[in-house]
Amino acid sequence: MDELLEQFLIEGRDLIAQATRDFSALLRDPQSSAAIDSAFRAMHTLKGSVGLFAMQPAELVLHGAETMLGEARKGTTALDAGHIATLIACLDQTDRWIDEIEEAGELSAQASVIAEGLLVRLAPAGPAFSPDSAGKTSGHVDWLGALRVREADVLAASGQPLTAFRYTPDSECFFRGDDPLAIVAAVPELATLAVLPRDGQWPDAESIEPFACVSILEGLSAAPLEKVSAAFRLMPDQVICASLDPIGEQGLDQAPERRLGENRMLRVDPARVDALGGALGELLVAVNGMAPLAEQAERLDRGLAGQIRAIQADLERVTGSLRRTVSAVRSVELEPTLRRLPRLVREIAEGLGKSVEFTIAGQGIEIDKQIADGLFEPLLHLVRNAVDHGIELPERRAVAGKSPAGTVSLNLGRDGDTVVVQLADDGAGIDIARIKAIAVERGLVSAEETDALTDASARRLIFAPGFSTAATVTQVSGRGVGMDAVQAAVEALRGTIDVESTPGHGTIFRLRLPASTLTTRLLIIEVGGERYGVALDQVVETVGIESSHLRPIGGGIVCVLHGRTVPVLDLASLLGGEARATPQVKLLVTEAGGAPVALRVDGFAQRIDTQVRPRSGMLAAIPGVIGSTLLGDGTVLLVLDLPELAA
Amino acid sequence: MSVRIADGVIWLDGRCLVEDAETLLLAIQQDSEAPVDIAGVQRLHLAVLQVLLVLKPKLRGTASNAFLARHIFSHFDFG
Repeated sequence: MDELLEQFLIEGRDLIAQATRDFSALLRDPQSSAAIDSAFRAMHTLKGSVGLFAMQPAELVLHGAETMLGEARKGTTALDAGHIATLIACLDQTDRWIDEIEEAGELSAQASVIAEGLLVRLAPAGPAFSPDSAGKTSGHVDWLGALRVREADVLAASGQPLTAFRYTPDSECFFRGDDPLAIVAAVPELATLAVLPRDGQWPDAESIEPFACVSILEGLSAAPLEKVSAAFRLMPDQVICASLDPIGEQGLDQAPERRLGENRMLRVDPARVDALGGALGELLVAVNGMAPLAEQAERLDRGLAGQIRAIQADLERVTGSLRRTVSAVRSVELEPTLRRLPRLVREIAEGLGKSVEFTIAGQGIEIDKQIADGLFEPLLHLVRNAVDHGIELPERRAVAGKSPAGTVSLNLGRDGDTVVVQLADDGAGIDIARIKAIAVERGLVSAEETDALTDASARRLIFAPGFSTAATVTQVSGRGVGMDAVQAAVEALRGTIDVESTPGHGTIFRLRLPASTLTTRLLIIEVGGERYGVALDQVVETVGIESSHLRPIGGGIVCVLHGRTVPVLDLASLLGGEARATPQVKLLVTEAGGAPVALRVDGFAQRIDTQVRPRSGMLAAIPGVIGSTLLGDGTVLLVLDLPELAA
Repeated sequence: MSVRIADGVIWLDGRCLVEDAETLLLAIQQDSEAPVDIAGVQRLHLAVLQVLLVLKPKLRGTASNAFLARHIFSHFDFG
């Protein structure tokens, strides 16, 4: 590829990401001069860059966007939610055009038509710039956005979720004896109220018709949505309510400014970083050899053993710190991986006739590059799924008393060595009865089996291969890639996926992934006279119980842990050995298919921090093995894949 | 009578109901310079409020009704 173009693709997308962050900030504070300045600079630079390629429509659109931001910068025009929506549309389109240039080397034939459409929206005389457009709501989509902007102070000052309402009395309501103001005065815990002209502007003094209602009443209440809806129970069709979380988007506010001195950073070939990781792994193996050495020495000379232990402690401290440093070098911010999601969500929602507000929080966290690279596909699928199957059509949402725009929020965070990714939507939730019916219909389970399933287990049926809940397979979610592919992708990253859902209120998918793939904390276990390693992040707990507490049920054995019946499998038998009966039973509890499973082992040995080599050669053929690692004494330890063995 | 004109001032008193909208409209149209005193308003029908929003007369006084003072008249310019 042409070097200039290659450079443009990287820098252009960086600028788009920057402008996306600025527009997110502007949606909450349209007067933020820092965000306006930053967006203006990004658009200006982007305009200059696209000028070098055959992208004239993009140049025109960016010029228009830059002009709009320039006016806002000078204070000639105050930006409102409508302007920002237009700017975002311009940015999204430019992003698509950059994709086109990358794929085809030129823009499609429609580009100039699309550009004209955007230019009309950007035009200073056009509707986007009329001073009353903040109050004008062509559809139901942007009233919340406008309200957020108008009531930004109230939202910012409130430390609790607020309920927004929009009450559009019909124009004849005065004749029926309705007084909308009296109705709104009865809204509990009213925080703010605005009486807005229904047509975007109040009628002229000459043409006012005193007995026609021409107002819309919008406001915020600190009371929960049900109580606010109850105040409008006599006119449900004229009211839309929505819950607003005043602190829900704070993560976006804190989008870090580009660090000064970023240009001084090194660009290093990833292969060198991998080599560094490899060497570190060998060092860890060598250090792990110190503990058995100290034990041997103990028998000969306690003083010598003490000295060895002291050196061992030093080495462990230093290698621990080295491991953290190398992990940090391999870590990347998740943000570049996720930067396309907002645009894709807008496109998917648009294609389905839905309106969706998508928020991301915590995208600044750093995780191992391998995980970051592997996360995009399953995440995109989950997001598509949420928009396609989770969020209902606006009409159905209105019937359910929800705001017409659904919300999908992605939250990322660290929990120790684990990255927790949570995707929540406020859609219809998972209909368990339907899930069961479909699973039976597709032959995944029998009707009797579904009766015995808990709700949590029934929800996990969506991860079964061959499951798809869409009544009509839509273009978006597509055929052939189901939630089973998502689960497989997450498990390939040594992660887990869970789903929670409340019918009518939404669904939450929670992914837990290791933050670092460089080294793995292993627990060494003894089974059938052999030693194996198991990844600690696959171990829920280790317990010891009396063998009398094991109970045969059906063809298997169970025990009760924390009040829950858990199946017990004998690991020695699973590995092709003989089960041994002992009065004391040691159990390793793991999770398979979302439910706990206990594996019986002979004993637990030490924990080590080491590098696991992926299975290859002869090992690749053995099921239930993740890979292998070298012990300090040179022996090879097989690392077991507990969920696979327990499944 | 909730809308009354005296001493060049349009006074709103007590419960201003839907029928007062037209009276107020006529009063303001007759004397667009007359201030509207809202201190005595106890209740304000949306129809009356619409007249104030459209014709934007000069307002004076402080509404004693808490809902009106906080949520309605706080958005008007008193000059």
